[in-house]
Amino acid sequence: MFHSFSPCSLFSLALLLATAGVQAEQPMADLAAPDASVSEEDRQHWAYLPVRRPPVPAVKKKSWIRNEIDAFVLHKLEKRGWKPATPATPQALARRMYLDLVGLPPTLTEQQEILDGSSPADFDELVNRLLDRQGYGERWGRHWLDLVRFAETNGYERDALKPHVWRYRDYVIRSFNEDKPYDRFILEQLAGDELKDDSSETRIATGFYRLGPWDDEPADFAEDRFDQLDDMLNATAQTFLGITLACARCHDHKFEAYTQHDYYKMIAIFNPLSRPQQGRGDRDSAAGSVEQLERITKRDMAMAGQEKIFLDISREATTAFLGKIKAMEVESDLPVKTIEALGIERDKRSTDQHQQIRGQLSKILATLAPWLDDEQQAQCQAALSEMERLKKETPDLPRGYFYVELSPKAPETHLLVRGKASAPGPVVGPGTPTVLTPSQPDFLAPSERTTQRRLTLARWIASTQNPLTARVIVNRVWQHHFGAGIVRSPSDFGVMGSAPTHEQLLDWLADWFVNEGQWSLKKLHRLIMASNSYRMSTTWNKKYAAEDPENNLLWRKPYRRLEVEAIRDSMLAISGKLDRTMYGPSMYPFVPPEILEGHADKTSIWPEFNEAKANRRTIYAYVKRSMIVPFLEVMDLCDTTRPAPKRLVTSVAPQALTMFNGDFANRQAVYFAERLQQEAGPALPNQIQLAYRLAVCREPTRRESTLMQEFLAHEQARQKDENEGLDNEQAHHRALVQMCRVILNLNEVAYAD
Amino acid sequence: MLNLHRQLGPNPTPCRQARREFLWETGAGFTGLALVDLLSRDGFFNQLKADEKEKIQGLLAPKQPHFKPRATRCVFFFMNGGPSQVDTFDPKPALEKYHDKKYEGPVKVGSNGRPIGYLMKSPFPFTQHGQSGLPISSLYPHLAGHADDLCVIRSMYTDTAAHASGCIQMNTGKVGIGSPSLGSWVNYGLGTINQDLPGYVVMIDPRGGPIGSASNWSSGYIPAAYQGTHFRAGESPLLNLEDPPGVTRKGQRRSLDLLKQLNQQHQVTHSGNSELEARIESYELAFRMQSEARDVVDLARESKQTHRRYGLDDPRTEDFGRKCLITKRLLERGVRFIQLYSGGGHIEDTWDGHTNCITNHELHAGETDQPMAALMQDMKDQGLWDETLFVWGGEFGRTPTSEGVGKPGRDHNWHGFSMWLAGGGVKGGQAIGATDELGFDGVERKVHVSDLHATILHLMGLDHEHLSYFYQGLDQRLTGPAESHVVQEALA
Repeated sequence: MFHSFSPCSLFSLALLLATAGVQAEQPMADLAAPDASVSEEDRQHWAYLPVRRPPVPAVKKKSWIRNEIDAFVLHKLEKRGWKPATPATPQALARRMYLDLVGLPPTLTEQQEILDGSSPADFDELVNRLLDRQGYGERWGRHWLDLVRFAETNGYERDALKPHVWRYRDYVIRSFNEDKPYDRFILEQLAGDELKDDSSETRIATGFYRLGPWDDEPADFAEDRFDQLDDMLNATAQTFLGITLACARCHDHKFEAYTQHDYYKMIAIFNPLSRPQQGRGDRDSAAGSVEQLERITKRDMAMAGQEKIFLDISREATTAFLGKIKAMEVESDLPVKTIEALGIERDKRSTDQHQQIRGQLSKILATLAPWLDDEQQAQCQAALSEMERLKKETPDLPRGYFYVELSPKAPETHLLVRGKASAPGPVVGPGTPTVLTPSQPDFLAPSERTTQRRLTLARWIASTQNPLTARVIVNRVWQHHFGAGIVRSPSDFGVMGSAPTHEQLLDWLADWFVNEGQWSLKKLHRLIMASNSYRMSTTWNKKYAAEDPENNLLWRKPYRRLEVEAIRDSMLAISGKLDRTMYGPSMYPFVPPEILEGHADKTSIWPEFNEAKANRRTIYAYVKRSMIVPFLEVMDLCDTTRPAPKRLVTSVAPQALTMFNGDFANRQAVYFAERLQQEAGPALPNQIQLAYRLAVCREPTRRESTLMQEFLAHEQARQKDENEGLDNEQAHHRALVQMCRVILNLNEVAYAD
Repeated sequence: MLNLHRQLGPNPTPCRQARREFLWETGAGFTGLALVDLLSRDGFFNQLKADEKEKIQGLLAPKQPHFKPRATRCVFFFMNGGPSQVDTFDPKPALEKYHDKKYEGPVKVGSNGRPIGYLMKSPFPFTQHGQSGLPISSLYPHLAGHADDLCVIRSMYTDTAAHASGCIQMNTGKVGIGSPSLGSWVNYGLGTINQDLPGYVVMIDPRGGPIGSASNWSSGYIPAAYQGTHFRAGESPLLNLEDPPGVTRKGQRRSLDLLKQLNQQHQVTHSGNSELEARIESYELAFRMQSEARDVVDLARESKQTHRRYGLDDPRTEDFGRKCLITKRLLERGVRFIQLYSGGGHIEDTWDGHTNCITNHELHAGETDQPMAALMQDMKDQGLWDETLFVWGGEFGRTPTSEGVGKPGRDHNWHGFSMWLAGGGVKGGQAIGATDELGFDGVERKVHVSDLHATILHLMGLDHEHLSYFYQGLDQRLTGPAESHVVQEALA
């Protein structure tokens, strides 16, 4: 419970010292009226203007309209005289909805349900059912983890682990599953420790700030501290506001109306945070409300009191016991370290030595029994019982990984000339970017514990008045349903970002989301997925494509590759091996030994492969910055060092080698084949049919079935030729494994219709 | 395709209306990079029926450099841990005079707060070599044969004293992790020459990888297709290169044929999605890579004499010799960027000679000298010398001081250290810049890592100011937003 904290004061001192000798390289005049450079014209950029609900446009083909989204989409198409694509088939639509919301294909039973009822209203019901599934949080939580640069280690030389950071991942999954209102989700992550109703959960949420990489052996401590602050600022600005404010660290943004002063105003908000650490080591903290933390402190004091009673009473007995031990006249089953600790004077014991004793008190009592009289024994026993009772009454809090604010007094924040920590300029107070707000938010007065600067920021961001917050999140949700946002640069809504393809629709959605939607993401999913725009097929149209190759007008539903998590999870679901255990410490997927060789600490870097545990969903895979699991990395997992608003889609040979030759894919091919034999019986057509249903949620075409049967027959014969002594059954199994390997590699499996 | 802003005309700012750029930027998901890349090669959609192979190569297809390159491929000998300049390429006679004297210069502390100790002369005598008379220490008897081809930069400096951030800065230009490495930028800028092999190969030391591991050859925020591929010296140099257990080459082909047939059929009903084609082709490419990569590491095809020249007959030079010989075979096949690590794991297994810099450097130089020289000779003999740029150096140098009297270790020195260039476009037989009398700090013609990067790009036909990738609101560059300069004196 005792931490040493990162030396904030030391840092300020360094700044002060540095100030003395530094000549500002930038004319100070520029800094005196810092925000004068933001013009009225700058404020007129569409994304900085308040969200106003636009009227829903009138359209000709009213029958196509299921909700307002369709009116906006159809309006643009009709202006060109175009028609939207035909509706997707029920199978395609169902698979799309499953993959979109839970990241897994429908099971056989679920496929049957779809065939039994596939009216538009049935699909509305399906969306409701899927949103109720736990898999929803696992799917959409992962999108969030991309944005917040989630990883479980710090990177750099030691790449030390971030203790208990998985609790932040679990927090995100739970928040999505509970449909936590998005404004609340913002407040918890940015200021969970400053909320009136703070709790373990809201503390863990603030782990958001601390997810970035961190060099525990920096070349320059002052510069490193600013790199940390820069990371917090960048993650906050990009994730919640969709702006590239971090570019203004060294000078005013070249293309955007973000000033250097804006940047340091935001830095001043995060500057009071400090990193619990002990030397180079990163430390976690007990996560709880202020009240809970106080109770724990009280409990610990009471327990320490009882411990003291115990040790006082048993003191002479201990001395006697240690004497016998020294003379080797008795043996003891106490740990050596405990005995060593007992031999040291109480006030000279290290934290670890105290722990060695504290953890062994009942054993110590038993050991000392020969030297204690009955009364002493009873007193010691009473102290032990009291300690147990105290612990039962006030159990330990979960531990979490987050920064802490230690004082209501904020350290001074200086604007840094050219972004160099060694060149501090004028002092800057907290504030938000000038161009985004006609007047600065009133910063709360410090509470007894913290500066409340982050709480002010969080409220400003999580406000219906903020021009960016709702637009940005609505766009992100749209992006994951349609493969691209209405604004194609989802974390850059500045003038350098892409213009929205449907500006009015975006504003309508943003307004609807905060008003009717009450910041509920699940309501937003329901709205989007109820639309005919979402339910279109992916059918190609040559004419439209020639004029609008990027499908800006949304004349069809884009066909898109799944993220690696959904591909891997689907493969496990298809093979029947998916383990649905949720939450808790991460699992470790298979890493080829050759990769471990490439590491400076090749023997200790990754636990031995345990397949049963590793078959959980990919969101639970351990993310180690210096060694990303190759399967995930090669399949375009996002960068883990900075907020990643979208995944790249590349198709390169190492992916094919991984998917066709790699350990994971070949294991799943074997399980998949075994499953087919068990569930479909021995008849080839049945096995093929089941394989298609499981993998792509449809019947095989006649041609596919024929191709497969021919392949299996030839393959079986060749297996026998190539391997002497193989019987028919074995040869068939091997052939089937090959077929399964091919099926798992189909484009259709990796793409969502 | 590179730096699209600048190609769009006089107004360099907005990417918002620039369709090609916007595609490049938003490639994820919606249209996909393969398609994006296709478009950006002036194909657009009307040319979808262009030659299939070229179309699919997309990201990795050969691209036009900014100007005529001096070298088309690059070999980077990375001396992991930091080799000492005063023991290799920067002779300091003054150290003889001040040997064992307490250092009293301006630098007060070494890495990790280590005290700066006593000056220590080099135990390795320097001799002038070649027509140029370039001084090289006795650690490099073989390399000395190429003295007239080496361009030593004696005034290199970086921004960090730590190994992790030092390696990462030497490789990516930034002290922090997450940016694309030099080899990634080169492949992004130029594409690959041989599609059947990775364009950027990294070979590490058997004692372990460099600190920071894959961050050193990461493609950062640019597509993973440009990241370095860890190539091993064994029979199976690439991950997942082997057919799965129980599958013969013929069997592999049969399964791939079935996959291709099914995927092509699927594509008929999903026209207009060129990503699908790219994915089909990636399996064919993978199949070819399986044999091509194995062929590269089949060193039995090289003569006994060649094995000897590379030191494969000597346990000391065997490992690095094998890597250099594989490098030769990779260069012959057109691999664009190859990085070889000498030293790996921790402390004395790398060039990090804190305890005993003398035995440390004897070991590591001894392992690498002959193989490097043999590779350079082969490139000369094969007429590939002018095509190939060689770079040698570590993440920083070492102090001219020891870590105490009678303790012949040297600490990190990032203020002034040596690296060298050789090969295509490089003016050899010279030393550029200088450190002070003792070899501590660069005092003349200081060259920052980013200047070195600018020079390497320049030699390969790329302008460091124009090789950029739009990401998070900025045109990101290898050399960063600050100004960097090509070391003109290094150019032939």
